[in-house]
Amino acid sequence: MLLAKYTLLYSVVLMLVALGGAFTEHSGVINIALEGTMTIGGLVGVIALVVLPPGTPTVTIIIVSVLAAGIAGILYTSLLAFASVNLKADQTIGGTALNLLATALAVVIVRRFNAGTQSAKLTYNNEPFLIDIGGLTVSVFLFIGVTLLIFAIIVMYKTRFGLRLRACGEHPHAADSVGVNVSKMRWWGVLISGFLGGIGGFAYIVPAVQTWNFEVGVAGMGFLALAVMIFGQWKPGRIFFAAMFFAVFKSMANIADSTFLAALEWPKEIYNMMPFIASMVILAFTSKKSRAPKAEGIPYDKSGR
Amino acid sequence: MKKKNGSPFIGGDALASIGASFISIIIGLVFGFLFLFLLSLINSGGESFSTIISNAWKYGFKQILMGGFYLPPISIGQEIAAAAPLILTGLSVGFAFKTGLFNIGAAGQYTLGAFGALFFAIVLKLPWWACLIGATLFGAFWGAIPGIFKAYLNIHEVITSIMFNWIGLYAVNTIMYGGGAGVMYDSSKTKVWDLRSLFPASVIPNLGLTTFFKNRSTTIAIFLAIIIAIIIYIIIDKTTFGYELKATGYNKSAARYAGISEKKNIVLSMVIAGALAGFGAGLYYLSGIAEWKPLDSTALPAIGFNGIAVALLASSNPIGTIFSALFISHITTGGSLMNSQYFPPEIADIISGIIIYLCAFSLLFKQLLMKRSSQKRSAELVESTLKEPPHIDSLVPETDIPESGMAAGEEDDD
Amino acid sequence: MAEADYIIEMLNITKDFPGVRANDNITLQLKKGEIHALLGENGAGKSTLMSVLFGLYQADEGVIKKNGEVVNISNPNDANDLHIGMVHQHFMLVECFSVLDNIILGVEPTKAGLLQENEGRQKVIELSEKYGLHVEPDALIEDISVGMQQRVEILKMLYRDNEILIFDEPTAVLTPQEIDELMEIMRGFTREGKSILFITHKLQEIMDVSDRVTVLRRGKCIGTVNTADTTVEELSSMMVGRPVSFAVEKSDRKPGDVILDVEGVTVSSRLHKNNAVKDVSFNVRQGEIVCLAGIEGNGQDELVYALTGLEKQSDGKITLCGQDISKSSIRQRSVDGMSHIPADRHKFGLILDYTLEQNMVLERYWEPRFQRNGFIKFDAVRDYSDKLIEQYDVRSGQGSTTVVRSMSGGNQQKAIVAREIDKDPELLVAVQPTRGLDVGAIEYIHKQLVAQRDDGKAVLLVSLELDEVMNVSDRILVMYEGEIVGEFDPKKTTVDELGLYMAGAKRNIAKKGAEVR
Repeated sequence: MLLAKYTLLYSVVLMLVALGGAFTEHSGVINIALEGTMTIGGLVGVIALVVLPPGTPTVTIIIVSVLAAGIAGILYTSLLAFASVNLKADQTIGGTALNLLATALAVVIVRRFNAGTQSAKLTYNNEPFLIDIGGLTVSVFLFIGVTLLIFAIIVMYKTRFGLRLRACGEHPHAADSVGVNVSKMRWWGVLISGFLGGIGGFAYIVPAVQTWNFEVGVAGMGFLALAVMIFGQWKPGRIFFAAMFFAVFKSMANIADSTFLAALEWPKEIYNMMPFIASMVILAFTSKKSRAPKAEGIPYDKSGR
Repeated sequence: MKKKNGSPFIGGDALASIGASFISIIIGLVFGFLFLFLLSLINSGGESFSTIISNAWKYGFKQILMGGFYLPPISIGQEIAAAAPLILTGLSVGFAFKTGLFNIGAAGQYTLGAFGALFFAIVLKLPWWACLIGATLFGAFWGAIPGIFKAYLNIHEVITSIMFNWIGLYAVNTIMYGGGAGVMYDSSKTKVWDLRSLFPASVIPNLGLTTFFKNRSTTIAIFLAIIIAIIIYIIIDKTTFGYELKATGYNKSAARYAGISEKKNIVLSMVIAGALAGFGAGLYYLSGIAEWKPLDSTALPAIGFNGIAVALLASSNPIGTIFSALFISHITTGGSLMNSQYFPPEIADIISGIIIYLCAFSLLFKQLLMKRSSQKRSAELVESTLKEPPHIDSLVPETDIPESGMAAGEEDDD
Repeated sequence: MAEADYIIEMLNITKDFPGVRANDNITLQLKKGEIHALLGENGAGKSTLMSVLFGLYQADEGVIKKNGEVVNISNPNDANDLHIGMVHQHFMLVECFSVLDNIILGVEPTKAGLLQENEGRQKVIELSEKYGLHVEPDALIEDISVGMQQRVEILKMLYRDNEILIFDEPTAVLTPQEIDELMEIMRGFTREGKSILFITHKLQEIMDVSDRVTVLRRGKCIGTVNTADTTVEELSSMMVGRPVSFAVEKSDRKPGDVILDVEGVTVSSRLHKNNAVKDVSFNVRQGEIVCLAGIEGNGQDELVYALTGLEKQSDGKITLCGQDISKSSIRQRSVDGMSHIPADRHKFGLILDYTLEQNMVLERYWEPRFQRNGFIKFDAVRDYSDKLIEQYDVRSGQGSTTVVRSMSGGNQQKAIVAREIDKDPELLVAVQPTRGLDVGAIEYIHKQLVAQRDDGKAVLLVSLELDEVMNVSDRILVMYEGEIVGEFDPKKTTVDELGLYMAGAKRNIAKKGAEVR
């Protein structure tokens, strides 16, 4: 079932990135730069993949490239963390800047990589990541994703770290007054989203196809992940279901040619539009009851007691 | 204990704002040069250090600094032609900023404007000024959408705009392509019908500028853009409408208290912002040399996002926007003139992106500048603004509870 | 006193903020086992000084000693290590967390990084029983009462074995009865050997519970006295620097026609399912000042929002000068003769980034006087603003072109008062108009309110300060949990009686809207 394959694929991506976003926002920082983080993380992961010598054991390939993607994500979002936490910059604008930079950077780097041609595309072998389970092709990211999800739930709600993190996003002055280092916590929150976002970007690019044109970045997936996060009300469990839901819409574009949808003879672009339209419809209906972390988006300043 | 402000990117102390912008520009350029240097380094095959630096200069940075003046008069003409629509997208973003809204949807509104312009030209066969109006209307329509979502459903305009950017792009491409048989589509050339040869009346007149600059892209568009900028300036500073918009942007609650209709102003502001972006698209796509390739346009028009850099650099001041647009156009033109063997034109985009990043904390620069000058009191003002820091609404609606007595922000230092 | 008797000493503390010296060479010494009050008006520097002690700020000069030894307190953790704790004026509680989570935040019991909530809950319950501070550990902060929230703040301190307890204006949100309970709890702490620092600007409380008082004025320490040796008058004198007359000059006046008529107004609450205002009816007549008194959060704010149009009522009718304005827009009500001096001047009353003149025409910019065909008549605006500044003595750096953000709180409020009164309204709604102001500004505003009344206008005053309520108003309506529970003539009642009504212990108005005239 192609629909199932793509749905699983996209839901893992959306879930990972949305989880990252949730960590950041729970600490009090808005992270619009998820799109850019995914692009950079995906880029570095793919480069690692391409650069690893043939004959490397599969497990090594997976570990090295995934970690590379995650670390790249961490490094990239540290720019956002620095601007938002230390310089108290406007987080929406900082995030937008990073998105724009990411695509431009990615294209420049890829062109450099493909020295000589003007191509912004990279080709790679994605076999190590695909596993066949009873006829259904599943990517290894599914397992990575579920593991990280469980981890996230435990960290967020059962650990001291998670409690303090959430306090920073709800009432940073209260956290400060009991000795929690709000700046440090927010850095953590942002970097976690860098890690998850980077891996998410890699998980988006690699399993589905063997060539990727970096001019499009990640084609809006980062923003869809934001919608998933909001729809999931910043809670990991709900994000999981929200991701599944949105992933169905996203998958329709991929299967349009080959299934019952082909009979409808809708132009392909309609399917591309669907996840975005679905997001808007859902947001329209749920916005009234939405409850974001109270202090998100507001840089923390001690003297504003 | 939430303290919220309207957007700070609305000026303040003029001199310090300009100074802060300059700092952002200079740092951006420095980073750009470092980048070029790095690329040159990677390219080099054991050349000497000074050769590497001079390569970075000769083949890249010189062009960026000189911009359109690198290959006069053709490139000057190109620079001016590219600046015109950029002024408009900058105005679009800046106008929205005044009302406290972040119009990241300028790219989508631009796309719809392009569609409007081409539709009016090719299908309705109207003269250029009517096509411009068409472009404006389509842009206004697309701008209204996030405005309505924000005003009536309290969904943040950033999310709505981004979603509709993509929806707009796909929709426009689909319609234009029309499955290969679209009315606007020339399948032999895989792009939209050429205006200059087929619909000359729809092309914006150039009044001799074409011969002057020896290129076909320069039209009176730049003058139209400047006129619009002046009109916007008058609206914002001299009219009651502008007063209401700014009030809403600075302090929503006080605006309500004053009897200003917040919802109406949000929608109106986005409509105008969309109209501006649409008009900008008209200026570009009716200039006779621009083409739209439905199958290739997989990314949103960058000019929509460069408009953000333009608006931020100008602190949303309409007159300042003219200059910042010329500057961005300058480096973009320069970027396209770089030796593409060595350096991809995206370098200019990177510089642009870095500038936006720096503008995000431009208030910091402002404060540093003012502390140095003798304007200590203003510096304290800015510092107190820093404590209630620059901020555009959080992504998700807060419940609109009027805060009761124990409100924050009141106590003088206790 | 021998130095060893002092458990905490703050010596020569100076703390600057941009443009203002909040603490100027202040010395404060706390004896072990005493309740030491810190008195001063708003802006005197009390909270800053305590924040320095608690590690939220660092002093620019000066030294802190505990038990005679110099200590360095650079953050709340350090303060905590020294067993110093603080109950803040604005509670530092995370609303969507439980009572338990709030108490253990920062000192969570853990095993291998995982929270051990049961352990924490056990300790909280023990402490709660020992000191008689009843709380529900698993209830969410947003669901519990203000009184319980304060108990949570206190338990935070006890959980951390704090010995030196700082209370910052703890009584602002309590009924007179709850205040008595709190004082008893504080005495209990000192009997155990804990020491208490108690910030307040309420003189009677100081006389009731403290052992010694330190008075601050404009950042400087005026002196420290034994409570037993001083009087309310002397303290007040030290606090403001001159003898203060508490009475407001007011001649008797007979009220005229009904200007504002409120019938059966109900307003729903955004915070919970109950209504914030329940079926309230009253009126205000020409030439009288009616005051809505009550503890904060009993519906006064929502009622005012309904009256001014900032919120819609769900039921009931509002009539102004005979016209039904229940569905009118905010602007229409203003045009019809209502002026509003809002409680939160920064949120509603002013646009801080606008200039003074732009704020002066905030509600009138659209009038033909100030614009033509949509274009602002800048000269007219300037003249008007200059006139108001002169008439009402509004002081600012650059006059009409001053950016309001840079003006002092008192002058900002004067600007609002000027604007609202100059509209010549039939009804003036003033909500906490003197909050956070110095005595001079307070006197001035009271004068303006009385002048309005003497001029035959109707004034609806909402106030939390009982002194103001008693001295300024002609008629008092007490609100409790969204209803009007009592109506009084200030000359014939006492603060204590009002307190009972404010706490819901009594009512002299039958339920469901019947009025006592």
